[in-house]
Amino acid sequence: MMFSFARSTIKRSFFSVIGLLSAMVASADSRFPKPQFDTGHTVPQAAHPAFVQLVPPWADAVILAGALAMAVWLVRSVRSRRWLLAFSMLCLAWFGFIRHGCICPIGAVQNVSVAAWTGGGLPWFVVALFALPLLAALLFGRVFCGAVCPLGALQDLFIIKPQRVPKALDEVLRLLPLMVLSVGLVYAINGAGHLICRTDPFVGFFRLGAPLPMLLSGLAVLLLGFVIARPYCRYFCPYGLLLEMCARLAWKPVRITAQECINCRLCAGTCPVGAITTPRTPLGSTARIGQFRRFSVMLALAPILIVGFASVGWLSGAFIAHAHPEVALTDLLAKTTSADEDLHPEIEAFKRSGLSREKAEAQAARTVDRFRRGCAGAGAFMGLVIALRLLALTRLQRRSLHEADRGRCVACGRCFAACPKN
Amino acid sequence: MNEKDGHVTRRNAVAWLLRAGAGALVAAVAAKASSRPSGERKVWQINPRKCIQCGKCETECVLQPSAVKCVHGFEMCGYCKLCFGYFKPDAARLDEAAENQTCPTGAIRRTYIESPYFEYMIDEPLCTGCGLCVKGCTNFGNGSLYLQVRHDRCVHCNVCRIAEACPAQAFSQVPASQPYLLKEKLD
Repeated sequence: MMFSFARSTIKRSFFSVIGLLSAMVASADSRFPKPQFDTGHTVPQAAHPAFVQLVPPWADAVILAGALAMAVWLVRSVRSRRWLLAFSMLCLAWFGFIRHGCICPIGAVQNVSVAAWTGGGLPWFVVALFALPLLAALLFGRVFCGAVCPLGALQDLFIIKPQRVPKALDEVLRLLPLMVLSVGLVYAINGAGHLICRTDPFVGFFRLGAPLPMLLSGLAVLLLGFVIARPYCRYFCPYGLLLEMCARLAWKPVRITAQECINCRLCAGTCPVGAITTPRTPLGSTARIGQFRRFSVMLALAPILIVGFASVGWLSGAFIAHAHPEVALTDLLAKTTSADEDLHPEIEAFKRSGLSREKAEAQAARTVDRFRRGCAGAGAFMGLVIALRLLALTRLQRRSLHEADRGRCVACGRCFAACPKN
Repeated sequence: MNEKDGHVTRRNAVAWLLRAGAGALVAAVAAKASSRPSGERKVWQINPRKCIQCGKCETECVLQPSAVKCVHGFEMCGYCKLCFGYFKPDAARLDEAAENQTCPTGAIRRTYIESPYFEYMIDEPLCTGCGLCVKGCTNFGNGSLYLQVRHDRCVHCNVCRIAEACPAQAFSQVPASQPYLLKEKLD
């Protein structure tokens, strides 16, 4: 505001004198000729600091692979909470504070999906950041979350008095990562920015400095973590959802005990994320029939859920599209009077670009269309995952031992310490 | 559960099938994303020809002060006595007094060379990247002052916060071996 005023003043005072100059505002160079110095003054060269990498980019992928291997070894062979904690601190220091939390599999989800959608172009080491933890989860469960991820390690330090989240609430909150992933990918693929990076609560801590809102939200998540263990991992992290899906199919999932479980129940209270499932008596035949009926209902519900969520996505697509700069610009143009145009740098940039308003509107309409289709796809995906979760609720569970829930367990190792047979 | 090591049960076989499917899916996405690799690492930079000096570089960066600073392309500079980047348009006197300067932090140093020429240097630690001097120089001077991401400061976010906020889409990713878009060398 102040500046636009200043600019208009300078324009007024100089326009009459050097009107010719003001007319050339767009192509500004060399209004004043390069001076010829009589004193032999030499024109200095500006110095520009080079881009320096701490380690070559391929080393990041190798270090991550090494860290994952180490984590697997600690979870499967050493089976010690203390060593896992020590190792996670090491990873927190390296991936977090030294690498500033910005070689990150969580964020890489967006880069990889954008590249996969638009036909490649990503260096292999970025793709490796995305794929290695997923493959590790397919084999051994979520060892990445427990020992390698700096965000997980930081939250793990702040688990003071974890409370059990009621099952129903837990299931509802678990929809959030699904939403973040779906919407985040629609954003990224359609060029509306990286939502998943923007919602990273801890990157400000890793850089030891951040804008205030980022710092406050990070602190809030840590404080919440006093009572609800790892709130970001469980109820927000979109990559955690992918890891969970892989971990459910794990070849050798995390086990509470190295030997035979004796159902002593000592581990039951130790899990901060509520991942330990207790034995259940097999259902009687009438209950089994009830469960089967529920299963059929859920199965019939599945297509309805998928279509329903896809249509909700289609309808909300136009709304979500406002995050895209093209669409935001046409909004701004529509609601700004010509008197206020100076207040918006977006409008100034648009005017300088020389694009006609009709063209900009047509472009925005195409973008809204892409968002509609993207959101419909994302909605269908959400519906599918929710349907699968509902079906999983009706499974006939014949558990006779204490086990770690494959999807929820983040391999922090607290139960290892509690198990007398470990 | 009736799984025994070494025996292929139905449950076991289905689990392996699903596992292989998921693994193949991850591998396929990874392979698609890394096809036609561009190879080199990219870093964020401002195209000074697109920049409209809106002031967001100062406020949107995750660093405080911002990683964006003003640089001076001396080859383009007219060494003006009345510098539109240095002096406020309503300056009462053309001297170094703070109230006459455009730069809110006094980061531009003005040295007398010979009549009528003055040299202007950026004291980078003081610069906040607000772009006020750039605006003056671009609109009324030679445009030799311009904004650049300084790579000794930038933390290389996956997506630059300023780039997301930039109204002129002046940010792009450039090869890390050529990390600056110097205005005097752009055509």
